[in-house]
Amino acid sequence: MLTLLLPTLAVPIVYLIGKRSAKAAAILVALIALADITLLLTMVPVVLDQATGHVYIESYYWIPVLGSSFTLFVDGVSLSMAIMTLILMLSAALFSIDYMQQKEGLAEYYALLTLLFVGLVGVFVTSNLMLFYFCWELMLVPLYFIIGGWGYKEPYRAAFKFFIFTHAGAVFVLLGIGAVFMVTGSLDMFQAQTALLTAQQDLVKWILLSLTGGFAVKMAVVPVHMWLPDAHSEAPAPISALLSGVVIGAGAYAILRVSLGTVFPALASTEFGTQFLHGLAALGVISAFFGSLIALVENDIKRIIAYSSIAHMGYVLFGFSLFPFQEPMAGTVLHLVNHAASKGLFFLSAGTIMKQLEIRDIREMGGLAGRMPCTATASTTSALSIAGVPPFACFISEFLIFVGAFQAINSNSFYILPTALMLIATVLSLAYALRYIHYIFLGPVRLEGASDAPLFMKCAMILLVALVIVLGIWPSFFLDLITTVEFA
Amino acid sequence: MIGILDTFLPIICFVLFSILTVPIGKAIRRGENRKTAFTLGWFLSVFVAAGISVASLAIKYYEYPSPRPFLSITLASESFAIFSTTFLIDAISIYLAVIFTVIGAVAFLYSIFYIDPSDRLSERYYSVMLLIIGCIIGAAFSGDLLTLFIFWEASAAGSSFLMLYPRTSKSVHATLKYLVMIIIASAFIVYGLSIVYSITGTLNFWAVKQALIALDDKHLLVVAFIFIAAGYAIEAAVVPFHMWLPDAYTAAPASSSAFLSALIDQGSYYVLLRVLIYILTPPTVLNWTVMLAIFSALTMIVGNLLALTQNNVKRLIANVCIADVGYNLAAITSVTPLGIMGNLYFFLIGGITTALSFMAVGIFNRVKLNTLDDFTGIGRKMPFTSLALLLGAFSFAGIPPLAGFIAKYLVFTAAIEANLSWLAVVGVLTSVIQTAYLLRLITCMYGKTPMGGTRIEEPKRLLVPIFILVTAIIVLGIYPTIVLDLIEPVIQQLPLTP
Repeated sequence: MLTLLLPTLAVPIVYLIGKRSAKAAAILVALIALADITLLLTMVPVVLDQATGHVYIESYYWIPVLGSSFTLFVDGVSLSMAIMTLILMLSAALFSIDYMQQKEGLAEYYALLTLLFVGLVGVFVTSNLMLFYFCWELMLVPLYFIIGGWGYKEPYRAAFKFFIFTHAGAVFVLLGIGAVFMVTGSLDMFQAQTALLTAQQDLVKWILLSLTGGFAVKMAVVPVHMWLPDAHSEAPAPISALLSGVVIGAGAYAILRVSLGTVFPALASTEFGTQFLHGLAALGVISAFFGSLIALVENDIKRIIAYSSIAHMGYVLFGFSLFPFQEPMAGTVLHLVNHAASKGLFFLSAGTIMKQLEIRDIREMGGLAGRMPCTATASTTSALSIAGVPPFACFISEFLIFVGAFQAINSNSFYILPTALMLIATVLSLAYALRYIHYIFLGPVRLEGASDAPLFMKCAMILLVALVIVLGIWPSFFLDLITTVEFA
Repeated sequence: MIGILDTFLPIICFVLFSILTVPIGKAIRRGENRKTAFTLGWFLSVFVAAGISVASLAIKYYEYPSPRPFLSITLASESFAIFSTTFLIDAISIYLAVIFTVIGAVAFLYSIFYIDPSDRLSERYYSVMLLIIGCIIGAAFSGDLLTLFIFWEASAAGSSFLMLYPRTSKSVHATLKYLVMIIIASAFIVYGLSIVYSITGTLNFWAVKQALIALDDKHLLVVAFIFIAAGYAIEAAVVPFHMWLPDAYTAAPASSSAFLSALIDQGSYYVLLRVLIYILTPPTVLNWTVMLAIFSALTMIVGNLLALTQNNVKRLIANVCIADVGYNLAAITSVTPLGIMGNLYFFLIGGITTALSFMAVGIFNRVKLNTLDDFTGIGRKMPFTSLALLLGAFSFAGIPPLAGFIAKYLVFTAAIEANLSWLAVVGVLTSVIQTAYLLRLITCMYGKTPMGGTRIEEPKRLLVPIFILVTAIIVLGIYPTIVLDLIEPVIQQLPLTP
């Protein structure tokens, strides 16, 4: 409860403090994130102690007529996602201190950031679909204003596109939620799951498609990805980091939790269920190739990273398509966490480069490694992690996904082709990561007078660099948490 | 036990005060500078009196549920049932009386400050406003089709005065259009009612329903239904008959638009609800759901598409009203407890949100800002009014945690429950269109830098009623149980066969 209440109450305080001093507001946001992390960390042993599937629930009376209550819970998956979100929020707040320095209206900026914080964390810690949807949409409004108000080029155009796309997705989610309520009379994810098992299958199919389609928009899977490159590249860097790290991750989490966790079991043994999983795999492969290929030819520093996000959501979707198996599911969730850390770092370092050089075409850069050692380290770490190079974070999780894929091949020969294609896609991701590093940091120096990042930006990046390396070498903290959940 | 006097008291209260407003206002006119203070005092006394009478009725109703909800006054001997008047107090009429009184009070408060008090006709404006509230509560209390018709037409006719008030050529034109429409509508309704009377020999809701259930040959009833439904559809601005609404609401002063959209619009849904659900209950009496569903879809699509092309902000909001009619119809069409709950909730929220938006637009219009281009960068120049309009727009669009979200959620869920999934899909898709144009408005207000950087002063007195409504949509969005608990008894009384 306190995890949500704290940031909610903090919104007006942040605004008022921000009026006086933007720096104080940013530090306050960071402190709240830190306090929330501590709160969540105290729950880690509770979750770990329980053998399997423990759910820590607090429930409050809310709208009984609609079957919704104010129910909070955590399990291994949601706890990992929430902790990662908070860590990114912490670094985004620190990063903003220097990054946003010359901008106007910072009080509003930090207040909106705090609001976004509530929405993001809320999505991960609730088991009531109504509250889930509240938080889901609560992400949208602050993001719209932040992208619009403090973005680049034509920010409101990008923000508009973002809002309309994700809102169109969200209304289908709403339809799905309404239908779930109608069929089961309950909005609790776990109760609904049991109730749906006995429901009429035709309707459940539609519910599943409607929900998954809606979530896929937020996740930016290929046919509905169009909002992502604009929104991610035009937003200010700390927000891009959050967008790419956890907002699309929230879409993936929602597919896991609601589509696969709540609705899918009712259809698991049917032919439609298998087709659905195969469809996910196909979309995953398409997204991975599409994202990687465009990232390979794109020249805008932030668009490269944005397209790489689409590619990585492809991996995640492919991981989800292996649904009943424990290893790939744990791997996929771990990949979400690791990707969030790596991609957050990637965007922050790109933001630093943009801020210090004030250009964004990578062909105009070169030889920056000597000038900006800290940023270069951060960029290289994140790029290699994104490419799946050991010992960085994403390697482990991609490895787990592939282990799972080979398991799946044993029982279902359909997966041979997608797995092979996914392996090729990882090579592509290495290619664009190397190209990125090559253009920006290696080669002859083209620009004079570039200097390294200011203090707070450095702090934020170092925090994430450390995280990416630690997660790569010692993934067991999150992995242990995640494996407490039985997916099947 | 509720007596006839308890029922009459709220109506009498409003009508009496309405009649007294003009002479007393004239008398006080000599003391020019105390005018506003006087009007405020008058306002307080009216609504305190009416509030007490409505509240006492509600308390009486819930404490001593009456075995016979119908109260009759017979004007002629038994054989002429048409000459008797029947009143009906049930949970839905109590609910309506309460929300009409409350929203009416807020809208009235706004018009006190909005209408120029030195205008010769300003007392009459207030007087008509009170009269309309009285009539519309009367419509909610009425227990036979004729009484309903009389009260409802009286309030519709009264509203033409509110549109006419600025006395510009535009408003005269719009009012004429409206009057022609409602006269056609009432002709239809009277014709339909006479058919119903000829079939059943009565106009009492309950008796009509019983007679219709027993009816074998329903051909004539279908004809009557078409006339009555068309008549009330014109008044509710369902799509093929919606043309009067944008003109009327654009030409009327903002206070009238706010008042009308909150009361008359919502009243017309009530009339539809009463006639369609309570009397022509499908499928036992007449199966009209598919037909109405088509009209509902049409209204949602056309209303939203029209709004998409609007450049005048007030007209844009007026078109949102049309779209709202569509969402309400969708709720009525579903004929499920959830749908009726959604409708009644949408009722209130739609009324509050449109009223709030018209009020905010009224402030902008005062400083000669009319079109979307004028609204450029207004978010910085007039922060409070813009904030109100922003929240109103988000509530229309159904973004949580604002109240519009819960309302839309209920409506769409109800449509799915009634096996009208296609209607729900149309609903959500049009809702996306709605978000698009509202977002365009918001982008204009906040996204672009203003031409002249000076801050425009906002009239604080006008902001008071606006922010009362803003608080309402936020509170009802986060904790809708307050109102849903009030609606609960209505749902239990519904004559639906599960």
